[in-house]
Amino acid sequence: MKIRTVNLTRLFRVGSSEIAAVKAVNLEINDPKLIAIMGPSGSGKSTLLNLIGLNDHPTSGEIFIDDADTSQLSNRARRKIRGTRMGFVFQTFNLFPTLNALENVELPMALINEPQEEQKHRAMKLLEMMGLAHRHNHRPKQLSMGEMQRVAIARALANKPEIIIADEPTGELDSKTAKDIISLLQDINKQQKTTVLVATHDERIIDAADLVYTLQDGKLKLQN
Amino acid sequence: MGALLSILIYGRQCLNSFYAKLTSQGPQTRLLTFCFRNLFRRKIRTALCILGVVIAVTFVIAVGATTMRYTAVLQEMNVLFNGQAIVVSKDAIIIQAIPISGGMLPQNSTLEKIRSVQGVSEAIPVLFVTSAGPQPLAQPVPVNFTMGIPVEDWNLILGPTPLRQNGRFPTNDSVNEVVAGASIADQYSWTVGTEMQVNGYTLRVSGILDTKMALLNRCVIMPLSLAQNVYNYPQSVNIIAVKPVQNMAQQNLTETIKEKIDYVDALTETQRNDIIQPILEQVQTWTVGIEAVTFIISLILVMTVTVMNVSERRRDFATLDAMGAPMSYAFRIVIVETLLMGVLGGVIGIAFGSLTAIVLASLYTNIPLAMFFPSILEIVPPLYMLEIFAAVVSVCCGGGIIPAINAMRMRIAEVLRAEY
Repeated sequence: MKIRTVNLTRLFRVGSSEIAAVKAVNLEINDPKLIAIMGPSGSGKSTLLNLIGLNDHPTSGEIFIDDADTSQLSNRARRKIRGTRMGFVFQTFNLFPTLNALENVELPMALINEPQEEQKHRAMKLLEMMGLAHRHNHRPKQLSMGEMQRVAIARALANKPEIIIADEPTGELDSKTAKDIISLLQDINKQQKTTVLVATHDERIIDAADLVYTLQDGKLKLQN
Repeated sequence: MGALLSILIYGRQCLNSFYAKLTSQGPQTRLLTFCFRNLFRRKIRTALCILGVVIAVTFVIAVGATTMRYTAVLQEMNVLFNGQAIVVSKDAIIIQAIPISGGMLPQNSTLEKIRSVQGVSEAIPVLFVTSAGPQPLAQPVPVNFTMGIPVEDWNLILGPTPLRQNGRFPTNDSVNEVVAGASIADQYSWTVGTEMQVNGYTLRVSGILDTKMALLNRCVIMPLSLAQNVYNYPQSVNIIAVKPVQNMAQQNLTETIKEKIDYVDALTETQRNDIIQPILEQVQTWTVGIEAVTFIISLILVMTVTVMNVSERRRDFATLDAMGAPMSYAFRIVIVETLLMGVLGGVIGIAFGSLTAIVLASLYTNIPLAMFFPSILEIVPPLYMLEIFAAVVSVCCGGGIIPAINAMRMRIAEVLRAEY
């Protein structure tokens, strides 16, 4: 999946003034790499990820996916891309509390009407990959934070996405679990050739990432 | 033995397959399971909301069924005198053809005058008394009646009403024979041949009417002279049913009777219906009004609870959107949840409502509750249950529409921004 942003800008109106969360960002993602976007809280990382993940519309600028201008896409087409070509991992996991681990992983497949047997088979395989096969029947509240994030990653991988967009995936985790999650994301990138785009202010990701960008006051800079 | 075993094994296989289908995670079942669990996650709130719907449905069913029952009984009161005009005392208060109070008419002189009117084919004297049975009952609403009709004219009033097995109508020679309605007979355990004491007279049941008519079911019918003696109305009646000759309009006949006999009022079938119609219409309007208000309160209750449920699960709906779920998915989740509350509340409410309706009927009539159970579907007709069920499910789904639209519009970017 090729993603290219051109002068991507997102403004928010707060009272009578406008705040630029993302300012003229130009970013190109071609090969399956682990890309980290660093920056302090409020620097616009999540906004940038939401724009790239087609969860939000830019105020100006364009996002091209495989050279197609996404501003021309219908809502349905944007949903289809989100559902089939992208996977999302959130800081607060966003698992569905009334579904168990297996059902949480099955859900994205159910949404695109994958056959039932295939859903179950693939979800179990993903949970095995995350080392959680034995916890498949447990609901989120019965899992630890690290386990919840691993279920969330398994869910993000359910529809074999080309890119994983992870917003502060280690933000809620202790340092050992965070390290495990970083290593897991690294494995996914290397073994499954999946692009992993991570917004974080966790310094440990710098060592694991192929590319590190910093976002300061809405402006993106590549770090050497 | 082998065949029986095969049947048992086959039955078990069928049950297993049914259970597997029921619990399988097909798209619809998954949605249903998801919604059920969402509702059960907030047990107290869901239970209170369902309780509200149950109370509303119980109230609607109880009021509606009771009103329908009494309306039907009132309409039935004209059936016995189909095609006949009736003559009553001028000061009588009547419901349909039945005088509930007012003066009596001297039997012979009045009959003679009526029969002399041109166009009268038959004139049948009837004594109608709002009492029956061996002991006087407290009747907040009159439910037991006695009718005295000359034996030779019974078929003109009762028509081809059948009797239960071994029964027969009294004959001209009968001295103390009566027939009783099935409901009153069952209440007092009367059978053919039972003897009872009423006002010092020994009456013998010669037959039990087999009819669905509420009025006849609660009636003891006896020869006119016997009724006059038992209730001490010698040579008096309070209704005279008048059958016009062919091609004679009832209206003309009643006008002539009123002109000729100054102490009577004569009413055609249409006039009798016209008297009761505005009352029935008002009752109907009030019932519909009460039902509407009750359903509106239910709608507000369901809507409030659903708005709370949706606003607490903003992140879930936004996550679904981020995962590429169709917009209708969030909408369906909310609507199915309200539908489930409606279905549960509706079913329990209909059960409680039906029970309340028969308890009310029993309280108002002093007829034992057990006697109403077999006829519960007559008091609360299945079609009415279905109507109310459809209405309550629609109301609950209606209450979910606005929150469902809100759920459908939740976007992860906005939800995350709102959280920070």
